[in-house]
Amino acid sequence: MSFVELKSVVKRYGQHTVLQDVSLKVERGEIIAIIGRSGSGKSTLLRCINGLEPVQAGEVWVDGVAVHDPASDMRALRAHVGIVFQSFNLFPHLTVERNITLGPTIVKGVSKSDAAKLARDALRKVGLEEKIGAFADQLSGGQQQRVAIARSLAMAPNIMLFDEITSALDPELVGEVLLVLEAMARDGMTMLLVTHEMNFARRVAHRVVFMNQGRVWEQGPSSEFFAAPKTEELKSFLSSVLH
Amino acid sequence: MSYKFQFRDVLAQQDAIFDGLLMTLQLTAGTISLGFVIGLLVASVLVYAKPWAKTMARVYVEVIRNTPLIVQLFLIFFGLPSLGLKLDVVTASLIALTVNLGAYTAEIVRAGFESIAKSQIEAGISLGLSGPQVFRHVVLIPALKNVYPSLTSQYVLMMLATSVVSQISAADLFHAGSIIQSRTFRDFEVYTVVAALYLALSLFMRGGFSVCYRLLFRRP
Amino acid sequence: MMRELSGLDLAYLILAMRWTVLLTLLALVGGSTIGLLVAAAGASRQAPLRHLARAYVGVVQGIPLLAWLFIFYFGLAILGYNLPPWVAATVGYSVYAGAFLGEIWRGALVSIPKTQWEAALSIGLNYAEQLLHVIIPQAVRVAIPPTVGFIVQLIKNTSLAAVIGFVELTREGQLTTAATFQPFAVYLIVATLYFCLCYPLTRYSRQLEGRLRVIR
Repeated sequence: MSFVELKSVVKRYGQHTVLQDVSLKVERGEIIAIIGRSGSGKSTLLRCINGLEPVQAGEVWVDGVAVHDPASDMRALRAHVGIVFQSFNLFPHLTVERNITLGPTIVKGVSKSDAAKLARDALRKVGLEEKIGAFADQLSGGQQQRVAIARSLAMAPNIMLFDEITSALDPELVGEVLLVLEAMARDGMTMLLVTHEMNFARRVAHRVVFMNQGRVWEQGPSSEFFAAPKTEELKSFLSSVLH
Repeated sequence: MSYKFQFRDVLAQQDAIFDGLLMTLQLTAGTISLGFVIGLLVASVLVYAKPWAKTMARVYVEVIRNTPLIVQLFLIFFGLPSLGLKLDVVTASLIALTVNLGAYTAEIVRAGFESIAKSQIEAGISLGLSGPQVFRHVVLIPALKNVYPSLTSQYVLMMLATSVVSQISAADLFHAGSIIQSRTFRDFEVYTVVAALYLALSLFMRGGFSVCYRLLFRRP
Repeated sequence: MMRELSGLDLAYLILAMRWTVLLTLLALVGGSTIGLLVAAAGASRQAPLRHLARAYVGVVQGIPLLAWLFIFYFGLAILGYNLPPWVAATVGYSVYAGAFLGEIWRGALVSIPKTQWEAALSIGLNYAEQLLHVIIPQAVRVAIPPTVGFIVQLIKNTSLAAVIGFVELTREGQLTTAATFQPFAVYLIVATLYFCLCYPLTRYSRQLEGRLRVIR
């Protein structure tokens, strides 16, 4: 089985069906970019993978764990699935260090000193070692997002999910975050990114998935995807976005 | 322990209950109307007037909000006569309640005024609206809409607080309780019934304010 | 027998303030206990608990404090307990404060954005851990200014205990007025003493609110 596998997933909010019969496979080490209009279901897709959103039908498998099954041990899985959100969601009452060490110490039972070392290593990877004692409100948006990435990295995940992580940033702060992502890609991390950064997707992603009206409308290797879109909807989406 | 609850005796005293209820409603209506006007004026002073006037308004608000209503009532009803100003219970009650509500209203409405972003006012001026027009359409009405929940909550609290006038023997609903108490000797039942009536009144007021909101602020 | 208002009266009035403070503290202890339960129930995931909390708050807040004091004063007497007024007062104020504090604290809990819950869940914390490490610490910070504001209300509200015979500052004022026939002076002093208790707390709560906004 693939590392991540979605089989005919259906997700509804009340009467509104957000995901209609979505199937997707992700192999280890793959970097997938998910693009589409707002409301196409791309964020929801991501949130179903780490179980933040329950599904009404279909199956979601991550690393052999049945995410769609309420009886599964999600706590253990979440220690291996990292997610970074558009609004960073750092814990404002804790220092950067404590934000990062909270997960390892509580969920994995790591000792305080080991966790502190984990935090320093994670911050070094995102280039923010000196901010270890700061609070979220003392950091810029780009720095907060990088700390959020470090927080996920400290849990030693097998896969990282990114939900439009640069959409809420000032343009000049986007670059520093994308650099971190590129470094992670080089290290061989499995990554799923919901993004609007088309150039980044073209450069870094192996495969691109286009979501439309709650379905996987078109997908393909990034080299061909942007150059030769097959469906009308993707063509019109790309032309409106890549002007 | 054998005690038989006798609510029937209490409920039979409809005349006392009705008269008291009427007085409470009248006091509440009067207090809300006058208190709102005072509060609006004081809030305007707090935000827009010269420093000396702002200070006076601030003193008024802080003194009222940091002292108990019953003490304010006693000061007006028992204290003023020694300065030569004798008032009947209803007038004294109305004055004390209104002065009290005015301070709370002023504070709430002031917060409402200050919550209107400067950019809104600048937009209004840029459209060519005059000062009073900007105040009315850009500041006053949106501010009142924003603080409507706080304000109406305060009004319901004030209705309940009018019960304090019973302590200077004003014939309100709570005072009716002591009248019935002296007639039936059913202390516990009396005040349970009185409490239930106040609860009904407060629910009714909340509902009424909800309806008013829709009438006043919803677009047609 | 009328006597002149003297320094001794002033001293007695000031001393009576300790009963005001004591009653406030008793009400806070009782009210906090009830308030924690009401807040927990009101913010819980079980609908019946939420409804119960809402009903409690709605009923308590919809009835005048005077009525609650009288109900407990006369009600406890019926149950056969010949208790001094301060017991009825404590119970009445605790029930009253419990509803207001419960509502303030519930409001603080639910004001924490859903995204904080999600972030905590996503690093693997369970419900209890999310509450303990992420949600409650933030909720406490939000709750402090309105709680301090309510304590000011409580201090003022203790003045009503005078009506059921509890001798605190207001009752002492009534007694002094009866003895000296100087209502204006006496109640002015009483008001000033309440002001001295309440105003510093009001200022403090405003300071706290200002500091909170800066952090956000």
